[in-house]
Amino acid sequence: MKVSFSRWLDNKKTAAVFLVILAILAGVLIWMWSQYGYRENRYEHSSYAMGTLVQQTVYGKDRENTALKAASAVTNLENQISWRVEGSDIARLNDAAGTQWISLEPETISLLDLCLDVAENSQGAFDPTILPISCLWNFDSETPSFPGEELINTYLPYVGYENLRINTEDNTASLRNYYMAVDLGAVGKGAGCDAIVDTYKSSSVSGGIAAVGGSVGIYGQKPDGSLWSIAVRNPYVSQGEDATMGTLDLTGGFISTSGSYEKTFTQDGITYHHLLDPQTGFPADTGLVSVTVVCGGSEPGQGALSDILSTACFVLGEEKGKALLLHYGAEGIFIRTDKTVSVTDGLKDSFHIVSEDFSYAG
Amino acid sequence: MPGKIFRKWDLALIGGVLVLALILLFSFTFAEKGGIAVIEQNGVEWGRYSLLEQQEETILEIGGEYHVRLLLEPGAISFLSSDCPDHTCVRTGKLTQAGQGAVCLPARVSIRILPSPGETQGFDGITG
Repeated sequence: MKVSFSRWLDNKKTAAVFLVILAILAGVLIWMWSQYGYRENRYEHSSYAMGTLVQQTVYGKDRENTALKAASAVTNLENQISWRVEGSDIARLNDAAGTQWISLEPETISLLDLCLDVAENSQGAFDPTILPISCLWNFDSETPSFPGEELINTYLPYVGYENLRINTEDNTASLRNYYMAVDLGAVGKGAGCDAIVDTYKSSSVSGGIAAVGGSVGIYGQKPDGSLWSIAVRNPYVSQGEDATMGTLDLTGGFISTSGSYEKTFTQDGITYHHLLDPQTGFPADTGLVSVTVVCGGSEPGQGALSDILSTACFVLGEEKGKALLLHYGAEGIFIRTDKTVSVTDGLKDSFHIVSEDFSYAG
Repeated sequence: MPGKIFRKWDLALIGGVLVLALILLFSFTFAEKGGIAVIEQNGVEWGRYSLLEQQEETILEIGGEYHVRLLLEPGAISFLSSDCPDHTCVRTGKLTQAGQGAVCLPARVSIRILPSPGETQGFDGITG
């Protein structure tokens, strides 16, 4: 068989035919591999942490193991920074309010440091010491309710980032007054993305994308080298409409969104949302329905920063919000209640509206 | 026919292979557009459905404490109803493209759309 086959190939003409057929087959195989081959190389993982869904897509070597490690990194972070977890850094800090300085993990201190930096630069539009007010509203419970103006005004004086003090040299922190308490709920999901991307960085995966609730972290590259495409959720959607209002195509970075549609309840005909203005204790009303922030800086903690900035921008409103983003070298998408959209210069090329219900602001 | 590299039947053979290759490519390109909806409960797969092959409206009863019901229809899937307190899942709307997703956190039921073979990945992630 072998002899006759090689004799058949000895004929120049049949050899040429054979080569052409091989070339066509090779072309088809290469095309198919480029289109579908990466799927083999891809691992998806879902888990629950920080009261939300953690969704990962990881490419490359050791992807399965890395995704599992990353998922537990988020749970570990939650156990460290959630005020709800007994014995966590933040629970201990809150318990010691008005008494003494206590030692915390260096990661907790850097998060608090970042929070205080944005709190100062936003003149308190973001405040990590919001817990006395946020637990009155209790948006995370099954039955949130309007606490009443009187109760809000009673507890408002205990909100004040100036009275949260940290020492980055010996990793200690203190809350100056009794009744004060820290809530890192506006930071946690972004910080969770940081924890996941850090896990990817120290592994051999080639690329990955992780969403912790509405915050997204990107690492490395997709196998086909194309841009990472992020859908921006439609804030006004109801059952039966398309879920996406726009798309962001990025090479990397961290993305977070704060929207008034996320957690709401209606009482006596008034709808309340969870993005509280630390100055008033009431839901912020700045003509916005959602703010998406993209951070791609080289400093650590860009995920946490994007999360904090999206909250701060929502409370500040569009004009002051954009100034804050400029200060941090971040970009943003501001969706107004009239369904017009304003985008910072750095996102003009990468963001596109895909829903007919929205248009660019004049 | 001396001098010519390819004879008539050689060309026919090459042509045949080319046609086969094209059929293969097109069958992959146009196969199952519309994505595959993967439903997970507690992070464990509950079921998967091809949105293209779906011909009619079907209600999927996931059950559980919150009696979650999904609406599967040609080309789309969405949360139809849930007894959860916030109804964020129902307000997420219809999922039609690969990469889109929705979740009912109290019930721990999530849906995401995977690209079908031959379909390019729609979105890699969602913010909001």
